[in-house]
Amino acid sequence: MYCYVYDEALQDRRYERELAQIETRLTDLGIAGKIARLALFRDPIELIRDEIRAGVTTIVAVGNDLTLRRVIDAVGDRKTVVALLPIGPQGGMTALLGMPSGVAACDVLSARIVEELDVGEVNGKRFVQSVHIEGTEFVVHFGKQYTLTPQRKATLEMRNFAEPDDAGIQSPVDGRLSCIIRLPKFSLFKGKANVGVVPFEEVFVACEKNVTALVDGDRLEGKDFVFRVIPRALRLVTGKARKF
Amino acid sequence: MAKVAGAETIIAHGVRLDGDLVAEGDLVIEGEIHGTVKTNGDLRIGDQAMVEADIEAGNAVISGTVRGNINVRGKLELFPSSQMTGDVVTEVLAVGPGARVNGSVSMGGEATKGKKRTEADES
Repeated sequence: MYCYVYDEALQDRRYERELAQIETRLTDLGIAGKIARLALFRDPIELIRDEIRAGVTTIVAVGNDLTLRRVIDAVGDRKTVVALLPIGPQGGMTALLGMPSGVAACDVLSARIVEELDVGEVNGKRFVQSVHIEGTEFVVHFGKQYTLTPQRKATLEMRNFAEPDDAGIQSPVDGRLSCIIRLPKFSLFKGKANVGVVPFEEVFVACEKNVTALVDGDRLEGKDFVFRVIPRALRLVTGKARKF
Repeated sequence: MAKVAGAETIIAHGVRLDGDLVAEGDLVIEGEIHGTVKTNGDLRIGDQAMVEADIEAGNAVISGTVRGNINVRGKLELFPSSQMTGDVVTEVLAVGPGARVNGSVSMGGEATKGKKRTEADES
């Protein structure tokens, strides 16, 4: 049983036609389901959990990365399958998951290639992509085995899943997160930052002072952070063009 | 000891590691290390790196400064900028012109076997 969670931005009239086409295609494919609409004063967690209690097995976030994130936050178990049906301006998840935008996504949804993805957790808050802490002094403790200390202010990224870049390729199905430390180069000529990458399962980060961490875009204030991976915690529908 | 498996591990220039690092994949060191380093894969120590550690690796290429004993199961390459202070045990050794080695050097199958036997006797 499917439930489609519409982002509140989709109430805009410019999406009416596309949504109608999507709903028709979903009916043709036999995967139409209940529609729930996110709204300003409606708690998405309560809304989605009510649907799961009512027997829904697949929750489809209709919108963008943010819609998907709100759905993932609400789906606390490993049984419910989650999917993104992209409409409107998109972030990075659409390409990473190999989901085409608009009506074309219905066929990918129908093919139902379900992957079990790792999820990261920082101080009890889950994330799918990464956590950023900009320009600060910190020490990363890898259990009792060793510590990593940047010699000057650096940017810290704890990554589960992202587009390949100067820190290489990270897989969301390997049971690990990556600790990425970027130090700016002091040079007359602008060059690439020094980049360090260390895979891990659990680390403790102690910052010099209170900082703001961006957890998949959401702000989290703190000085000490515990990061850990929750292996195969999320069942997500992906397309053949997925990048992992 | 912590296991760092699979993907390449990189200790960037400007980062200091204190403790015992065990990596199963390839390891690149451009920063500073104090402790021990073990990897089954390939190890590369960059020219700005400063390593004060006993090292075990599958293969190793060294361009920076190392203070400690190094045991390589395969090939060890010392680039011209490298400065090595400690004993070297390796199967195959390549030394570039200008590379400095202060310590004993044991090479070939017998040397690495002998090293393994000694470690087994100790345990």
